[in-house]
Amino acid sequence: MSISALLSQYGDRYLQALFTTWKLTAFSFLGAFLIGILVTVLRVCPVKPLRSFGDFYVQIFRNIPGAALLILLVYALPYLKVLFPYDVCVLIATTLIPSAFCSEHLMSGINTIGVGQIEAARALGLTFFQMIRRVIIPQALRSTVLPMTNLMVATMLTTSLASQVPMRPMELTGIVSYINTRSAGGVAAFAISAVLYCATGLVIGFAGALIDRKVRILR
Amino acid sequence: MSQENTPVIELRHVNKHFGSLHVLKDISLQVKKGEVVVIIGPSGSGKSTLCRTINRLETIDSGDILIDGVKIPEEGKELASLRSQIGMVFQSFNLFAHMTILDNMTLAPVDVLKIKRKEAREEAMRLLERVGVADQAHKVPAQLSGGQQQRAAIARALAMHPKAMLFDEPTSALDPEMIGEVLNVMSELAADGMTMLIVTHEMNFARRVADRVIFMDGGVIVEEADPETFFSSPKTERAKLFLNSITAH
Repeated sequence: MSISALLSQYGDRYLQALFTTWKLTAFSFLGAFLIGILVTVLRVCPVKPLRSFGDFYVQIFRNIPGAALLILLVYALPYLKVLFPYDVCVLIATTLIPSAFCSEHLMSGINTIGVGQIEAARALGLTFFQMIRRVIIPQALRSTVLPMTNLMVATMLTTSLASQVPMRPMELTGIVSYINTRSAGGVAAFAISAVLYCATGLVIGFAGALIDRKVRILR
Repeated sequence: MSQENTPVIELRHVNKHFGSLHVLKDISLQVKKGEVVVIIGPSGSGKSTLCRTINRLETIDSGDILIDGVKIPEEGKELASLRSQIGMVFQSFNLFAHMTILDNMTLAPVDVLKIKRKEAREEAMRLLERVGVADQAHKVPAQLSGGQQQRAAIARALAMHPKAMLFDEPTSALDPEMIGEVLNVMSELAADGMTMLIVTHEMNFARRVADRVIFMDGGVIVEEADPETFFSSPKTERAKLFLNSITAH
């Protein structure tokens, strides 16, 4: 089938898939971002067991394949009498894995803050949480916009995992399998999704560069 | 609670090691209200470490450190609260890089002292005026010269209304032409009666401003005297050697 034929027959399905990918990406990234910040705070806090827990969390989710995690969530958890809907399973997998990378980015962002500024904050009488909230996290965030942009693109690509379970509505990768089992879409069916992934990635990258220019810290 | 004769800062038999290196050896020291004490000595003598133990940026192995007669707490909110009463000025300024000078000034007064933002800003502007960088209030630190940054850092510490100010080599990172402007601000503070403990290599400044000079070497207080006596007729051989080595060039 030609691309135009595919579009005329499945155009609205592609559009729906694109929105599904966007939605998954947005929710996953937001979740990963918040969990990433939380885990990072644990990893720098004065309480040793919490620091260890934070490090452990990152090691686990940084090193587990997304497909393996999703299979565990979908097929293993029910044995423990925990049954999530498919889209929730996908969302958990595509949130937890990027959250580990988010924390790693933030840790490298924290390392760009001179130890002197931390000492100044302590000398001024700021408590740990005041220091985290006003000095450490703001600087870590502002110096990691570009890696976070990459992370968001990576998160978007990770959402293609959803094609491995019968999630409805389908996202951009799932839709290709769906079409190719019904029509002989071949490579063209993939190409349309690829273009949509690329376009989204470009928009994210452009927005990231814009934000970075605005918030980058002069040193 | 601070009686006339209670020292603002007091160290009793303080010892500290960095690994096997004994950096502070049984240091005892008092700084009275309104007194300006200058610590000098060769690098590695422990003078910066001494300065940093006073608000517990460095922990100590034994001995006591008292602020206004109260032992400094080991951690937590009490320590933070105590630190907020002692101003500290660092060699490398350490202004918060992501904030304007004005926000640097108001952060701790608003968050720690719970002063209203508007009042904190007015006070901050008065202090910036006093140290001569009010026109830089809305810039970020990287846009200021070193001397301006250090003066802003002094103002930031003053905004907490500290009982005493610690200066850890405040001019060592500055270009020569900017040292004077920072020392002038410090001289004015001293003249206004601020209690100050200053680690510095600026001997002329020490001579002019100090009530007392402490000479440290090898982790011990080797000599302690009023500046006139110390600089014109040092008693110990080590102090003589040190003074010769810095005036020889």
